[in-house]
Amino acid sequence: MKTRNAFQHEEVFVQFIREQKERFYLLAYSYTKNEQDALDVVQDSIQKAMLSLDRLENVTYMKSWFYKIVVRTAIDFLRKHKRLQVTDDDTLQYLTPAQEDVYENVDLEHALDELPQMYREVVILHYFEDLKLADVANILDIKLSTAKSRLYKALKLLKIQLEDVKGETAHG
Amino acid sequence: MDKKLQELEKQYMEVPIPKELDFVVESTLKQGRKKKRNRTPQWLLGTAAAAMLFTASLNVSPAMARTLSEIPVVGSVVKVLTWTEYEVAEDTYDANIKVPSIENLENQDLANALNEKYRAKGKALYDEFIAEVGDLKAQGGGHLGVDSGFEIKTDNDQILSIGRYVVNTVGSSSTVMEYDTIDKENEILITLPMLFKDQHYIEAISENIKEQMRTQIAESNGDKSYWVEGSGLADEDLMEGFTTIKSDQQFYISDKGKLVISFDKYEVAPGYMGVVEFEIPTDVLKEDLVSMKYIH
Repeated sequence: MKTRNAFQHEEVFVQFIREQKERFYLLAYSYTKNEQDALDVVQDSIQKAMLSLDRLENVTYMKSWFYKIVVRTAIDFLRKHKRLQVTDDDTLQYLTPAQEDVYENVDLEHALDELPQMYREVVILHYFEDLKLADVANILDIKLSTAKSRLYKALKLLKIQLEDVKGETAHG
Repeated sequence: MDKKLQELEKQYMEVPIPKELDFVVESTLKQGRKKKRNRTPQWLLGTAAAAMLFTASLNVSPAMARTLSEIPVVGSVVKVLTWTEYEVAEDTYDANIKVPSIENLENQDLANALNEKYRAKGKALYDEFIAEVGDLKAQGGGHLGVDSGFEIKTDNDQILSIGRYVVNTVGSSSTVMEYDTIDKENEILITLPMLFKDQHYIEAISENIKEQMRTQIAESNGDKSYWVEGSGLADEDLMEGFTTIKSDQQFYISDKGKLVISFDKYEVAPGYMGVVEFEIPTDVLKEDLVSMKYIH
């Protein structure tokens, strides 16, 4: 029974990964802030997922199931590499100077990055990855109420920051 | 509000995607699929664990090994195991003699002959050791060690090559290596002469080894040394220089089907070189080989 699950799910999984790989990468990157580490996280996540594919009961849960794996892998990664963590944002910005031109405002650009991880992940998963709050809670292993309050707090923080940004722009 | 979120999302999405992502994803998927296909069923894992336990207990208890090898089905899983171990660990005397045993050969005569030989040699080594220790003790003590065991050099569908070593330690140590190579398909013991049409192989191999020795000496910058003519050693140091291999020189066949000739410590080189091996290029042997079946 379980092996049949794996067999049936494999095709779906491979397709899902191929289509969505950029999104997984972005999610991983939002934790690691480093290209190489994000790639590692994506790779580890796919490996882990393939090994436990037979434990996934229903293909419809694949999305949140896989996001959970990515999030956990990323957090594990951060934990393991805490001391060695390399943030190559500067290098990245240096290498891609054209990008800055896209943004009108540097503060707005960092608004998301400046959010603490616990708030940032809720925003990313809920708004950018279009996951239901219940799924977000499940992925992050927190209660639905916690997810809600974090999202609320995140919006509040963002709003303040965004307002500040707005204020600054108005003044400037 | 929504607009700000949109703006944030746009930024989130604008993190550059590295070119390597495609490659990483595809190769991981491919790997996973391969793994998946070969994935061991749960029951096999249990069996593997049992097999490990089984091997472990065989090594721990000779009595159990003997009992189990009498059960045909169970016995047939085993290939080469440690049959007996002699151990002595006293202050200045220590012996560690592992005796291999070949199982799962249908040719019982061959298996028995080899295993008898291994056991007899192991026993002889042990007895000798005990006797020498007795002598030494009578003379007021000394240091003595013997370490013997085996290593599987090649184990593929066709060939099983086992090397057994004996390291004698009396102050300095000497190492003796002996190989047995079995054709697993036909279940026969392969000897060096039977691989070749006539005696010419001795010359061909010897010449090639001399060449290899000289090349190695020249390339090693003085790190390597063999007792061979034309290596810059003074003639008087070459009293017992290497001239030719024995017709039954120790050898094994590598996993890639190459003939490897082995010399004991001190046989062709100073002690620091230890046991030395030479892989003979098949080109050199082509003319003399009976067939390219084992060596290719």
